[in-house]
Amino acid sequence: MGDSRMKTLEELTMLEQFSLEDLLDRRALPEMLSSFQELTGVPARIYSLNSGLLAGPKSAPPLDALLEGFPDGRRRLRDTIHEVLSVGVTVDDPAWVECAFGAGYLVSQLDHDGRALGRIVLGPVRMKEATQGFSGQVIRLPEDKSLELSLEEVPEKTLPECKDLLRFFQRTLDVLAYSGFKAHLASSMHLATVRENFRELTDKNTKLQSAYDRLRELDRLKSNFLATVSHELRTPLTSIIGYSEMLLEGISGELNEEQREFLGTIHQKGEQLLELIKSLLDLSKLESGTMSLRKGNVDCGALARDVATTLAPTARKKNVSLAASVNGELPLYNGDAERLRQILLNLTENAIKFTPADGSVEIEVRLVEQDVRPGTISSGAVLGSPKRRVIEIRVADSGIGIPEDQRERVFDAFYQVDNSATREVGGSGLGLSIVKRLVDAHDGQVYIESNEPRGTVFVVSLPCK
Amino acid sequence: MQLDFSKKQLTIKLVYYGAALSGKTTNLQSLHEAASGDSKGRLMTLDTKDDRTLFFDLLPLTFNDKSGLAVRVKVFTVPGQVIHTSTRRLVVQGADGVAFIADSRLSETDNNTESFLDLQRNLQGQGIELEKMPLVIQFNKRDLPNIRSQAEIAEMAKMGREPVYLAIATKGVGVVPCFVGLLYRTWEQLEATHGLSEKFGFDGPEFVADVAAKLGDPRPLRDILADSVGGGVHGR
Repeated sequence: MGDSRMKTLEELTMLEQFSLEDLLDRRALPEMLSSFQELTGVPARIYSLNSGLLAGPKSAPPLDALLEGFPDGRRRLRDTIHEVLSVGVTVDDPAWVECAFGAGYLVSQLDHDGRALGRIVLGPVRMKEATQGFSGQVIRLPEDKSLELSLEEVPEKTLPECKDLLRFFQRTLDVLAYSGFKAHLASSMHLATVRENFRELTDKNTKLQSAYDRLRELDRLKSNFLATVSHELRTPLTSIIGYSEMLLEGISGELNEEQREFLGTIHQKGEQLLELIKSLLDLSKLESGTMSLRKGNVDCGALARDVATTLAPTARKKNVSLAASVNGELPLYNGDAERLRQILLNLTENAIKFTPADGSVEIEVRLVEQDVRPGTISSGAVLGSPKRRVIEIRVADSGIGIPEDQRERVFDAFYQVDNSATREVGGSGLGLSIVKRLVDAHDGQVYIESNEPRGTVFVVSLPCK
Repeated sequence: MQLDFSKKQLTIKLVYYGAALSGKTTNLQSLHEAASGDSKGRLMTLDTKDDRTLFFDLLPLTFNDKSGLAVRVKVFTVPGQVIHTSTRRLVVQGADGVAFIADSRLSETDNNTESFLDLQRNLQGQGIELEKMPLVIQFNKRDLPNIRSQAEIAEMAKMGREPVYLAIATKGVGVVPCFVGLLYRTWEQLEATHGLSEKFGFDGPEFVADVAAKLGDPRPLRDILADSVGGGVHGR
């Protein structure tokens, strides 16, 4: 396929495109010729249209060898070959070309699909009946050559026998050429199909890539927008919270009970709104990758107890029991204490939120040796230990639970399993996606297990270096 | 179409299209059997071991017109299986006429439609409107049970512009008229675009009738063309 341009199917299926050499296996032909010779005793040669010898007998037939042995003989052999290649023949009308001592060659055209592709030459062979009349050209043999010996080895056939052999030979070659043509076509077609598939896939890939690029750009714009808007929202909100606080403190005079209650509501809702905006800001920072971790040594056990203390009033208000426990000795963990605290706060708050009254939320921190989870490792993992030490923080609740098929998606921003539940319990839908991003930033993992018989366990595992 | 002025040789490409296992290859085999010695070439099939067409089948037919023009008709089939769409696109490239082979069974209606849309898409991909392509439709497998009724096909065929043929390719029934109808339609189109009669003294209807006779249908062309339903073929 040196051709840079792909041939069309029309060109491929036109036999005019092919020469005999393209269709026949040049290396396999001598085998066929020698088995033909074994069977019939007649040597055969195949010439392609441009007169090149495609295949011939393995060794020179005895008559040829004899003639090669002296100058006159050589000349005669050369003349014969010339005539064999130039004599006018058709498929149905072979020509007899005499060489010497009554022996000669039968020459025929090789056709395929009505088109001449080359010639077939049978011989040297001696005619039993000299029907065609020999030219009578005498060739003198040097004294040291024995004619009888050589002639004995030249097969003797009748003309009809020779023509039958020729026909058989033609048909065999025709089938071979057809097979060759078919194989050539099949492989060309294969290539063409592969190219066509490749072209199609490349087209699709280009389209997908540009769609992907556009989406990424949109995502970036969205993050920028979120960051800007959060900022802009915070400024007036700070004033609202600040002034309501000042009013509550009585800076501008005494308030009656009702005014105090209204202001309290304004202040409380303002704080809530501020929290929400902070979450948004966090998320957009995390998404745009502008948040950096301030790492130090963290005591995860103390952190868990601290979070439990912080959230105890919230839990009490809902009549949910909240406890933190540390299981065994824990090493210090190298991470960002503030962000880890945020992770734990979000998860615990979430757990309390989705746990009905009289339920329980338990935070457990422990050190475990973990099997490396398949599919979560990078190349070269075989070099490391199959076990690794992780600090596992488990936040278990007895709440409504999360169906298995949703467990991956709850970490998507703004996703909530059941929208009706959200309306009941509130929340922005950002908490878990922030948790996921913060855990990712610590090279950790967060996943969900069921808490039998009821509820959910959020597991954060932080690898110990 | 390829026209070799020096050799006075015209090559026409006809493509048999259709859903998988609708009988495209069987149509070609049947044509091959019908063709007489001097006009038929070897039927070449490039198929898999389970006899599903992999790339295409090709039946070369050669007919010598009285005008001295040698007309070579290359009849191709496409592989019907859905996954071979790019091969179909390659095969249908440069087609002068298309025979769409539909499976008559009711259960195959959706597959027929899907394949027809595929044909339309593949032609469009080469900037060819299906409406401009000489086309015949064959409802094959008329001998099977649970098929679309002849009355229904005749009724629906009136709404289309292409002639519709009924066939049982395995028994050679209806195959030649369908081919002759396609050849006739294709000639009409080539005549309109290339003026063959003027250039070569080529008499299309006579040539097509001659081809039909060589394929074993000696009836007058008018009668053969009348085997179709719907899509008025000229010359009736």
